[in-house]
Amino acid sequence: MEQANPLRPDGESKGGVLAHLERLETQVSRSRKQSEELQSVQAQEGALGTKIHKLRHLRDELRAAVRHRRGSVKARIANVEPNRTVEVNEQEALEEKLENVKAVLQAYHFTGLSGKLTSRGVCVCISTAFEGNLLASYFVDLVIQKPLRIHHHSVPVFIPLEEIAAKYLQTNIQHFLFSLCEYLNAYSGRKYQADRLQSDFAALLTGPLQRNPLCNLLSFTYKLDPGGQSFPFCARLLYKDLTATLPTDVTVTCQGEEALSTSWEEQRASHETLFCTKPLHQVFASFARREKLDGSGLLIDCFHCTGNTSEK
Amino acid sequence: MDETVAEFIKRTILKIPMNELTTILKAWDFLSENQLQTVNFRQRKESVVQHLIRLCEEKRASLNDAALLDIIYTQFHQHQKVWDVFQMSKGPGEDVDLFDMKQFKNAFKKILQRALKNVTVSFRETEENAIWIRIAWGTQYTKPNQYKPTYVVYYSQTPYAFKSSSTLRRNTPLLGQALTIASKHHQIVKMDLRSRYLDSLKAIVFKQYNQTFETHNSTTPLQERSLGLDINMDSRIIHENKVEKERVQRITQETFGDYSQPQLEFAQYKLETKFKSDLNGSILAEREEPLRCLIKFSSPHLLEALKSLAPAGIADAPLSPLLTCIPNKRKNYFKIRDK
Repeated sequence: MEQANPLRPDGESKGGVLAHLERLETQVSRSRKQSEELQSVQAQEGALGTKIHKLRHLRDELRAAVRHRRGSVKARIANVEPNRTVEVNEQEALEEKLENVKAVLQAYHFTGLSGKLTSRGVCVCISTAFEGNLLASYFVDLVIQKPLRIHHHSVPVFIPLEEIAAKYLQTNIQHFLFSLCEYLNAYSGRKYQADRLQSDFAALLTGPLQRNPLCNLLSFTYKLDPGGQSFPFCARLLYKDLTATLPTDVTVTCQGEEALSTSWEEQRASHETLFCTKPLHQVFASFARREKLDGSGLLIDCFHCTGNTSEK
Repeated sequence: MDETVAEFIKRTILKIPMNELTTILKAWDFLSENQLQTVNFRQRKESVVQHLIRLCEEKRASLNDAALLDIIYTQFHQHQKVWDVFQMSKGPGEDVDLFDMKQFKNAFKKILQRALKNVTVSFRETEENAIWIRIAWGTQYTKPNQYKPTYVVYYSQTPYAFKSSSTLRRNTPLLGQALTIASKHHQIVKMDLRSRYLDSLKAIVFKQYNQTFETHNSTTPLQERSLGLDINMDSRIIHENKVEKERVQRITQETFGDYSQPQLEFAQYKLETKFKSDLNGSILAEREEPLRCLIKFSSPHLLEALKSLAPAGIADAPLSPLLTCIPNKRKNYFKIRDK
């Protein structure tokens, strides 16, 4: 094989030499480029390095500054805090007072007669109750003008509101309100008794309870021993006093006329007295209790008998 | 079953729209569940009616049962009748009203039967303490006409009753008498109030059309509620007369309130007044006799229409008290004379 020989004769060696020179030239330019690149990279590195140093330095400075600021703020807060807690306490106290007042106003209606001022007068709320049970509330919205008048209300239509207003509204508003309170509380009480009778003591009734809107006439039939052989009683209760919760007239009759013995007559009379003196549902509660007592009374008799026989 | 009763029931059932038929039959409670289940309600109406009549015959429906069905139909279609309002009064020093339903019904029936001999009276009680009374009128010699009955709705232990207006006016005094005596009152007077909407009449008469009351328990004050006209709807719209608009809204709210108005169809004013004019020497102003004229306002919902007049800009606020006093005075017929 022929190798590239620089010492060959001219023709051939020129080509060889020139080529070689070319090669050397490109080598040099390449290496020069490389060294230039290397230099620039090195220069960049250096620049970045200094930048990093600068940034690090800046970061450390800022950190120190933040630490310093925090410290001073904490010191300032420590000085300010005692004042701020005082403000908060005052505000809390006021809020508590406001809540109290609101609660008192809301609970106001438990007194039975409460009111709220309106733009044109006052809205009175009558909260009725019977035997410690809070029942329905009724409203009367009054316009304070001459003459004083009722704007609108939620009083039931069968309560004689127009009559009471005609009598007292213009002359004595207190009397008007108290009178209306009486009527409404009595109506609520009577209604409560009738409702309790229908719901709790339906077992003792032998027919439906007949009542009217004001609950001032009640008519019903009942038995002391439901399912037993005794005849039922008929009761008719009249409440002529609309401000009362107890009847003014009571009639109790016994349906089976034949069985009218003295014991029945005694019972009938005692029932009449009971209805006149006690609320309706309480009377029936005592009937229900008596039923139970009679049952246990029988047992005692049995023991008595066995006692006797064993003695013999 | 009497032919006339069968015919009467048939005509009543034919009046009932198909979609209400089962509801009304259930309320009637005359045909049992089992009987109703045998009916195919998807047939043509005539077939359904025929089937129902056969079932009524099986159960031997009486005139009373038929009358009850008629009452229930009318209760569902109250707006088909025009209702008048009557107010009764007791004498001074009367006893407390101890209303006894049985006594009332017996007394009412007796008074009518004693006067007319031929009259059908039926009763139906509702939960709101109202008694619906249906009266079919006959005379001493003719049977009662079941197709032109009068209805009375009486609220016991109140002085008020509502009566459907009918063409047979001659029986009204007798009816008034029967109602007054049976309910233990002394006098009965017709109020100047009339409408198709029984609920609205009840709300006006018993002053129950506004049931919102201010209490300490309510959290939103009533005045803050928006009044329909949202003045700040679009920021590109500028209302030049904002103050005036707000004044009108305030006055409307004070007069009519926030609640929905009871429904009336008209208000009628009979004027008998002398002509008033600013111009002197006008022919009409010299007239001695008062002018007579009748002004009638009609609307599907008169009070709501009046309420919207001022906000719509059609009338000045405040409106004439003659218009705004209608629910308060419980009238929609007025006679206005010179004072």
